[in-house]
Amino acid sequence: MRLRLQAIMFFAVLLLQGSVLAKEDYPQRIISLGPAITEELYLLGAGDRLVGCTVYCQRPDEAKKKEKIGTVMEVNLEKIVALRPDVVLMTPLTNSRAKEKLKNLGIKVIEFPAAKDFSGICSSFLELGRILGKEKEAGEIVKIAGNKVDSLTLKLRGLSKPRVFIQVGAKPLVTVTEDSFANDFIEFSGGVNIAKGIRYARYSREKVLEANPEVILIVTMGINGEKEKEVWQSYKALKAARDNRIYILDSYRLCSPTPVSFIETLETIAGLLHPQNEPRSSELRPPPPTRCKALHRVGGGGNFEIPYNKLKKEDGV
Amino acid sequence: MNKKLVNRVFWVLMLGGILLCVVIFSLAVGPAGIPVKKIIPILLEGKGTVEYNILFDIRLPRIILGFAIGGGLSLAGIILQGMFRNPLVEPYTLGISGGAALGVSLNIIFGLYKIGVLTLPFFGFLGAAAVIMLVYFLNMRKGVVKLQGLLLNGVMISFISSSLIMLIMSLSRSEDLHGIVFWIMGSLEEPDWAIIKITVFVTLTLLVVSYLFCLDLNAFSLGEEEALHLGVPIERTKRLLFIIASLLTGFSVSVAGMIGFVGLVVPHFVRMFVGSDHRISLIAAFLAGGAFLIFCDTLARTIIAPLELPVGVITGILGGSLFVYALTKREVK
Repeated sequence: MRLRLQAIMFFAVLLLQGSVLAKEDYPQRIISLGPAITEELYLLGAGDRLVGCTVYCQRPDEAKKKEKIGTVMEVNLEKIVALRPDVVLMTPLTNSRAKEKLKNLGIKVIEFPAAKDFSGICSSFLELGRILGKEKEAGEIVKIAGNKVDSLTLKLRGLSKPRVFIQVGAKPLVTVTEDSFANDFIEFSGGVNIAKGIRYARYSREKVLEANPEVILIVTMGINGEKEKEVWQSYKALKAARDNRIYILDSYRLCSPTPVSFIETLETIAGLLHPQNEPRSSELRPPPPTRCKALHRVGGGGNFEIPYNKLKKEDGV
Repeated sequence: MNKKLVNRVFWVLMLGGILLCVVIFSLAVGPAGIPVKKIIPILLEGKGTVEYNILFDIRLPRIILGFAIGGGLSLAGIILQGMFRNPLVEPYTLGISGGAALGVSLNIIFGLYKIGVLTLPFFGFLGAAAVIMLVYFLNMRKGVVKLQGLLLNGVMISFISSSLIMLIMSLSRSEDLHGIVFWIMGSLEEPDWAIIKITVFVTLTLLVVSYLFCLDLNAFSLGEEEALHLGVPIERTKRLLFIIASLLTGFSVSVAGMIGFVGLVVPHFVRMFVGSDHRISLIAAFLAGGAFLIFCDTLARTIIAPLELPVGVITGILGGSLFVYALTKREVK
């Protein structure tokens, strides 16, 4: 009995030490190798800790003034080392050799996995909050985002689901698979992705015509959106062309998602898919906290449960 | 006789000197902005400082690797051009680079590089070795090495590999696609010192080994039959030279990706200035190739800093234009 008590005390002290150390060890000089990460840093109020970012980190405006260390995929190691970062945050897109080299040079590197869906975006965000020591702020933002998703889904419940084709590439024609968070854009805004269930993101125009979607969303990722729109318009049999429901979306907003920008884009898309029922979440009551997928799916640590618990208490459930 | 020896030594020393200057230039130049005068004090005393880190761990490995790979590719180029007596032949014509690129693409698409970054050059070398053996066995029948066949087979295998790589790229996810494309574009960035040391060791060893054949290569320039009459064991020589050139290329491509034009342009330049005597042109090509690649890499990483151009872009533009210029000047004379 005594031994067990001692063991428990030992581990308690160890854990306590761990958490005390961690508090003082939050990184102060951060380099971000992804536009989404840069934006998230500013959302969490840690923008002043950013010492370097990529040339594509254009939002918010303050990020444009930071030192540039390369693109998302190819980074300048000399610049990074010269900036003496405490941690370098990267995406899977960064060259793996550069990542190895940074580790060999003794620089702490943290890689965020590619977000596969909205909960992935949220869990990465919470992880970033944990790394920076801003769990509270991260939790609140994720909670608000989750609420908005829930209220939007509630609002759109019962409406007919338009069939949607979302195009992210022109030559070749590329759409989004279930593997991508962009699929959630369609599902959460009450639509059906005609390309659901395919394995490779390459698609054929014939299949699109066969599926005859009601809405086509063109994401201008280096492709000429207007040109593509004309091509689709020229197919008279296409429902989307007849009803003139082919929309061009700015890829910059769409492709590097943070919980906040995800919601903004989601509301835009929902507005496009259901024009007669323009959803404005500020008008709605907060929904019963049951189906907030983001928080449910967040992986197993103690910290991540906190926002969900807060949610429950505040809504008086 | 003496005059020739003096001439040769002069050229080797001159190229060695150029190499040294290029190395110093490359060490001094970079986005971190370290002034030239401070380099020696930093190297001697500044261990542990950030500048020392930058010089030693970032710039120096690239310079050393540039020397080994530039030298290796140029050496392979001059050996092959001497063997085939064809000025358009270069190390990549034999299809070895295609095989290496295919090996690396397969590695990336199956995610094997996540086990360890070392698997990338390993798979590159496996691909290169597979092509080398294929080409070798397709052409070394009945003890006779058909040079024409070697070249044609190499080119065809190159095309087949490119098509397979394009197939892999079309089916891959965007992260893998970027990885493959950037690897193929070639880069002297290598995190592992062990690989750099191995590459240097192998290329220098193969340089020494190739010197055993310098006289044979001289004889080859007259033609195969003439070489045979001069007593050169042509079949054996062709086989060994092929293996030397292939190993040089295979190692270079596995470690650094496809850096083009070095193996094509540098041998031509060297022959223009130093002559066709392989006793001197082999080492001249090695030194010149090393200096050229280090210089191009320095430009690639500083022109639009902090963005980095692929080094193959600079070698192509610089090498190609210089060559065209030199050729036209010569013709006018």
